[in-house]
This record gives sequence, C-alpha cells and structure tokens, in this order.
Amino acid sequence: MTLDVVGQKVERRGLREKLTGEARYSADLKLPGMLYGAVLRSPHPHANVLSIDTSAAASQPGVHAIVTPFDVPAGRIDGDLPILDTRVRYEGDEVAAVAADSPERAAEALSLLNVEYEFLPFVLDADAAVQPGAPEIHPGGNLVGGQPISLERGSVEQGFVEADLVLEEEYLVPPHGPAALEPRAALASWEAGKLTVWKSTRGVHPDRAALSRALQLPESDITVIGPYLGAGFGSKDESRTASLAAVLSQRAGRPVRIEFGRREEFVSGRTRHGARIRTKVGVKADGTITAVHTTAYVDCGAYAASGPGVTRRLGQGSLYLYRCPNARYDGHLVYTNRPVGGSYRALGAPQGHFALESTMDRAAETLGMDPLEFRLKNRVPPEGQPGIRTTPADAIVDTQPVEGGIPFSSNGLEQCLIEGASAFGWGAPKQALPDPTRKIGRGMAMLIYRGGPGNRSSADVRLSRDGSINLLVGTMDVGEGAETVLAQLAAETLGVGYDDVNLVSADTSLTPTAPITAGSTATFSTGTAVVQAAGELRDKILELATVGLEVSADQLEARGGHIYVQGAPERRMSLAEVARHIPGDEMTAYAEIVPGSTEYIVNAFGAHFVEVEVDTLTGKVYIRRYVAAHDSGRILSPAAALNQVEGGISQMLGYTLSEELITDGPTGITLNGSFLEHKCPSILDYNDIQVIFADIVDPVGPMGAKSLGEPPCAAVAPAVANAIYDAIGVRIKELPITPDAILHALDPSAGGSA
Amino acid sequence: MQEPSDSPISTITLQVNGVDHRLDVEHRWTLLYVLREVLDLTGSKVGCDRAECGACTVLLGDLPVYACQMLAVQAAGRPILTVESLAQDGALDPVQQAFLDEDGGQCGYCSPGFLMTTKALLDSNPDPTEQEIKFALAGNLCRCNAYGRIITAVKAAAAQRKAS
Repeated sequence: MTLDVVGQKVERRGLREKLTGEARYSADLKLPGMLYGAVLRSPHPHANVLSIDTSAAASQPGVHAIVTPFDVPAGRIDGDLPILDTRVRYEGDEVAAVAADSPERAAEALSLLNVEYEFLPFVLDADAAVQPGAPEIHPGGNLVGGQPISLERGSVEQGFVEADLVLEEEYLVPPHGPAALEPRAALASWEAGKLTVWKSTRGVHPDRAALSRALQLPESDITVIGPYLGAGFGSKDESRTASLAAVLSQRAGRPVRIEFGRREEFVSGRTRHGARIRTKVGVKADGTITAVHTTAYVDCGAYAASGPGVTRRLGQGSLYLYRCPNARYDGHLVYTNRPVGGSYRALGAPQGHFALESTMDRAAETLGMDPLEFRLKNRVPPEGQPGIRTTPADAIVDTQPVEGGIPFSSNGLEQCLIEGASAFGWGAPKQALPDPTRKIGRGMAMLIYRGGPGNRSSADVRLSRDGSINLLVGTMDVGEGAETVLAQLAAETLGVGYDDVNLVSADTSLTPTAPITAGSTATFSTGTAVVQAAGELRDKILELATVGLEVSADQLEARGGHIYVQGAPERRMSLAEVARHIPGDEMTAYAEIVPGSTEYIVNAFGAHFVEVEVDTLTGKVYIRRYVAAHDSGRILSPAAALNQVEGGISQMLGYTLSEELITDGPTGITLNGSFLEHKCPSILDYNDIQVIFADIVDPVGPMGAKSLGEPPCAAVAPAVANAIYDAIGVRIKELPITPDAILHALDPSAGGSA
Repeated sequence: MQEPSDSPISTITLQVNGVDHRLDVEHRWTLLYVLREVLDLTGSKVGCDRAECGACTVLLGDLPVYACQMLAVQAAGRPILTVESLAQDGALDPVQQAFLDEDGGQCGYCSPGFLMTTKALLDSNPDPTEQEIKFALAGNLCRCNAYGRIITAVKAAAAQRKAS
C-alpha cells in the first residue's frame, strides 16, 4: 500500500491556533451575563454535613445562586457519587457551591457559608481500611465491589511447585497528580429549558450521559461541547464540576463558569492510584518461568471513579507479558479517605510493571542471567500464551485476556528488545567515572499494553457539492493529536490532501457518538470508523465519476484530489468536478463500528533501556541515555508519535524520581497540592530520548496502527529503578526514588524519611 | 461588571500589544485577570495563579514576567506584549513558525508562555546554547513534557531569525 498522507509529517491540528492564542479552552469562554462559580471544599477527611446556614452568603451583593446537599437534585453522576452529599469523604470533597458576579465575591460568599460538621473517624491506608472496625466510607464496606478482581490461567500453585527458585517481592507506589496545566473548567448555560455545557472533557457523549443521570434530564435536552483541552492524561473524568455549574446556572438564570484552582486540580481532580503490590515468580534453573502471581492492594481514594478498570489493568503485565502457563492476579480496590484515584495515563500499567519488571530483574540476577537474555527467553511470543481459548469463536477477543490459546494480531516485542538493546549498546562496557562518588548503572524493562480496541465508535464523512469535505467525529482530542491522526486517515482513504479534510469534533449536537478518549483507544476505535466511513464515501464518489469518465467504478482510483482511470492517469476528474454531480447538497457516509478482532488479541509492546548516573553524595539521579523501542503498529503521524513517546517517558520520570501527592497521616489533609511541592519535571530535567518504532503493520488496526499514547508510560519506573540498582547495589522498592531515598538506601542511618 | 465596587478602583492606561486601554481596575486585580477577563485576551493562560507554571508569561518591556504575579495597576503605562501580538496579519512570528514546524507543543496550554519566554531569550541572546535555552525556559512547565520538541523548536527559531 502506497501512502500519501498517513506516515507523513503533517501539521498538528489546532497547533497553529494554540500558538497564536486564538484557541479557546474552557476557561477562556465567556457568555453575556456570565457568573463565576466557586466550590466550598471540605477541610475534613471524613465528616457528616449536619447543616449549612447560607443566609449570610445569600445576602451579599452579587451572589446569585447557592447549592447545598440539602437542596440539590437527587440524581447521581456515578454509582457512589451524587452531585453533592451530606457526607464528605476526603479533604477537598465538595460541600456546596455558589455563583456570583465576580470571582472575589464568589470566594467571599464561600467564606460566609456556615457549615456544621460531625467529624467521623477516617482511614488513609488501604490495608487498614479493609480491617474489621475500620471507618466505613460507603455503605457495604471499603472493598470496592465486595471482592477482589481475581483472574487465573493454569494453576500458580502447581507452577510454584515446579519451580527451582521462588521469589516474592513487595513494592509500594504513591498516588501522584496528573497535574494537567489546564485546571478543570465548565461553563453551563440554559436556554428554553435546555442545557449547554462547555467543559474540559475527554468524552462529550459520556459526559452528557453523566449530566443526564445527575440532573435527571433526557440526553436530548443536553449539549456537551469540548473546547480545546489543556491536556487530560486520562484524569479529566466527570467530577461534580459540570453538574454544579449546571445547577447554579439554572438557579441564577444566567450562565455560570467554574474553574478549578491549582490546589483543587491536585487534590480534587483525579490522581494515579497508590498501591502496595506483591509479585511472586517461580523459575526453573534454566530461566524458564513456571508461575507468576501478583496481588495488589489499590488505594481507591474516596470514590470508585475508574478504579475498577485501573485495578484490572494493573494485572495485565503479570498475566501476559511473560510466556507462562500459570499466572494469577488478585486486585483489591479499597476505599480510603484520600483524594480520588482516576485513570491517569496508562491506568494501572505503570504500577504493575514497576513491581513485575523489578521482580523479574531480581529473578534474572539470582539465576546469573543477563536481564535482556532472561527477557528474550521468556517474552510472550506472537502465538500468545499457552492454553486453550475459552472466548467463543465468534466473540471479539478481550484485549487484556487471561486465557491462553489466542495469538496476537502482531507482536513486535522481540524486535523492540533486539533493536532497542542494539541502539543502546546493552552489552558494551560501562564507562568508568573518574569521580568515585558518582556511579553509573544500566537498566531495562519491557511492556505490554492493550492495543487500542475500545468501545463502539462512529464517524460521519461528507462531501459537499463544492468539493469540500467534512469529517464529523465525537472524539475529543485531549492534546495527544487525535484530530491530526483521524484527519490523516480520512484524507488517505479519500485520496485527498490532509488540509482538504475539515474536522468537526466533540460536540454532542453535531457529531456522532464516540467513547471517551482513554486507554489509548481513540485512533483504533474512531480511526477504524473513519476509515470505513471514508471508504464508503470514496466508493460513492467513484460511482459518481463513472458517468464522466465512462468506465466502471472498479477501474477508478481516488488520489491526490482526483479520480483517475487506473493505468490511464490522463483520464481524470478533480474531486470538485465530480462533486458537482452530487444529486443533493452533499453526499455522506456514516459508519458505526465495534472495534477489535474475533481472532486476535491486539496489544502494543515496548522495551526501554536507560543509563543513569547516581551522585552518591547528594542522592541525585541523572538520566544519561534513554532508548525506547515501541511496537505500536504502523506509525500514522511520526511527529506526534515521537512527541507522545518522549513526553510520556519524561512525564513518568517524574513519577519515578520525584512526584508524590502526600496526605498527612494525623490530619488527613493533603500537603503538597502545588507545582512547587509536587515536583513535576521541568525542561532542566529533560535529556534526549532515542525513540525507535518497530516495523510492524498490524492486520487489525486502522491502516495497521495500534495504540501509542499510554504504552510509553508503563516501562519507565522499572527501567530506571533497575538502573539505579545496577549503579548503587541496593534495590529501592518504593516510588518515588528521591535523593532522600537513595541516601537512605546507601546508609539506612542517614537521610531517609521513609 | 463590578457594581458596586468592593475594592479601591483606579483609572489606568494599560498599553497592551501597542494599543492603549483606559480602564477602571480594582487594585487587587492581577495583570492576568485584566488581560483575560476585562480585555478578553485569553491567550495568556491560568495554570496556577501563583508563579509556579509560567503559562501566563507576557513581556513587560523586554522582560518575561508572570502576569499572575503583577497587579494591573503596577503595569500601568508600561508596554505589555501578549502572545496575541506575535502573528502579524496572519503571518506567524518565526518563533511561532518554528514551534509549529517542530511540533513544539501538544495540548498547547503552555505554548503562549513558552513562546513569550523564547522571544525574550532570542531578543537578548540570538544564538543560545542548549543549556542557555533550558535555563531560560526553566520557569515554564509543560505537562505534556514536549520538552524535546520545544528545545528543537527554539534552536530552529534561532536559526531562522539569524537567516532572515
């Protein structure tokens, strides 16, 4: 297949507008008469709200609406999340909200709300929260769902019996904040009983459904529009913001905009889940793995949100990255009185891979094998895991299955290991540093991630009589470049230029249904729908061109904005000429698809190699070299892909080395909801990353693509932790690996707050 | 929008992107607030409102400043440039063009701040080393961590400005 647009460097959609300042994000929008909303947040980690006296606030000039749990609509945003509740479950939980004609007056009104709280005992630790007598955060107990997620292939009990060596390791990972630079915002406005909400979102249709549940309004009365998004990183789940803005706006009879402050975004946004993870592996003396068993205790925070999906995903590496007939995962998701965990980029995979790939490094070392050799021997092969397929033959295969007996659509893991190691120079001798206090170490880790199939999605492609093309998709570009890739896929299929496709996205009143942009599924799900819809439109165009070109449609080809007779390129019509023959105003094609395959598991793979330098006097870790090799199928948009991999790695170096959202044990108050105290990487921390893409064209994905956005995040922490171990000879099993943690590891009597 | 007023008000002239604006501003309003909420120049972003992220960076004279950390009354009478000033009649500034060509941004929320800091850097140091670029931009956070592409874009912008 010769490609003209896909695989080419194109200008990122919307970047020009972002660079000129024209791009309007949610908080940049204003409407006439708009009020400023603000949210009162609980100062206590767990309490009952007994009463709220609103009289002082309501009598202030400029205050137009107040909403409290005692007068809020009864609907629910989520199973455990009403719009407001008389129980607050973490410090930062929503208590009430106001709308006023200036931000200052809104803040003043909040301070005048007189809330009577009944303090309740609180619990911040997932282990303690499941003990008898622990404070109950939601009815039914603190173990979400009442039982762990337990999955097993073969018998790990039997597998450990067969092993010559059994290792069991425990790892701790903290919650940390995605800290999108754009704080959440929502603008709500009512007209003739119908609601329009512009909000920071990763899916307008799911958000419309949540508003419909919460406000008990039919979806037909609600429009949700996603303006530019200042990044989501998976975290911009529907919280209460849009519902509160809608209720305030309804009461005030004027539009209301709520914006989060930075601390609100850290504390009351969504975090990556902290967890305690135990990984047990059995190996034979020759290095063959006989069993892998991972048990995770995941700190859910105060509400379930996407915790169940994250907890499930945490086990994927253990169940599937290494070829092994016996594998088991038990994931416990536990409510605590901490900030709410969400689906931060790569949801669960970074946590699980940190434990798995650290443990596997230890196994290799214990056996005297090179970490690369151990992984090359045990990596999951293209034919998948041993075992017998239990999924019915006509059912779409789960992208994160447990069972064996199902092959991958494509599997470039070996290529990633070999090409990554070669580019890195894995076997080459390490440079010795003249300063004996500085140590060099090397580490690696590999990764598996679901390849992209998501929920049902759709696309609508239209050719107007003037030859212009509109592509309508519900998908929200969360900053990663979905619009760019989808426009490329449409242009390629239609045989037109990238700039010839006008894309309209993320507006429930205009665009067809799409799932949330999450789990690295947007390209795969909506991309598949785009290719199908654009293919149908192209076929109609060819049919229309048969009149002018006087051959049958199967002899025609669409390319470069023209319709050609195959083999006779001089016999052609421009698309604009053909379009003039459209019977009505426009010709359209619509496709709605359920992505995936009944034959194959679709997964992305990768291998990361890193060399660190550790200053043993200060504990500081420097990244000297980083090589990331990825199999994400065909790379549709090379510039955006490079940016995604580099960015994902740099972001997760923060997770590995510096970031942690700290909640104070005695008070339950989160201490570091700011960029100064929750240390995200700056440009000074950035060092070059070499990115390699395996030469794989997936037979299932749209034009051969698989997922890309999240996979780079999965392998960073274990690769770096393995390198630090190689440098200093002490294995640190808790993130973040701060200078303090390094000094403490080197000398347990020194440093170390742990 | 502020009737009656809750805070002392002064009438000032704010010179933004070469245009003088006579404005009644509350003393407590930041420059960022006035740019965004009064003048509707929303290119300067609110990322933290407390001098931690750089998304609100504008130029005050030749110097990049955090607009969230300056009161509007302090900026009165001094030339202010925001990201909206860079493109002229639809033609991008070389710095913008370099960020566009090199994919120097993803979600774009940090981009206006990075552009203004880069402009200030290249105006004072037309040929910066990579280390000088990093130090100059250390006050601007990019949470997409597009730092690799941003560094490449700044180098390309420097080369482009030298060539033209």
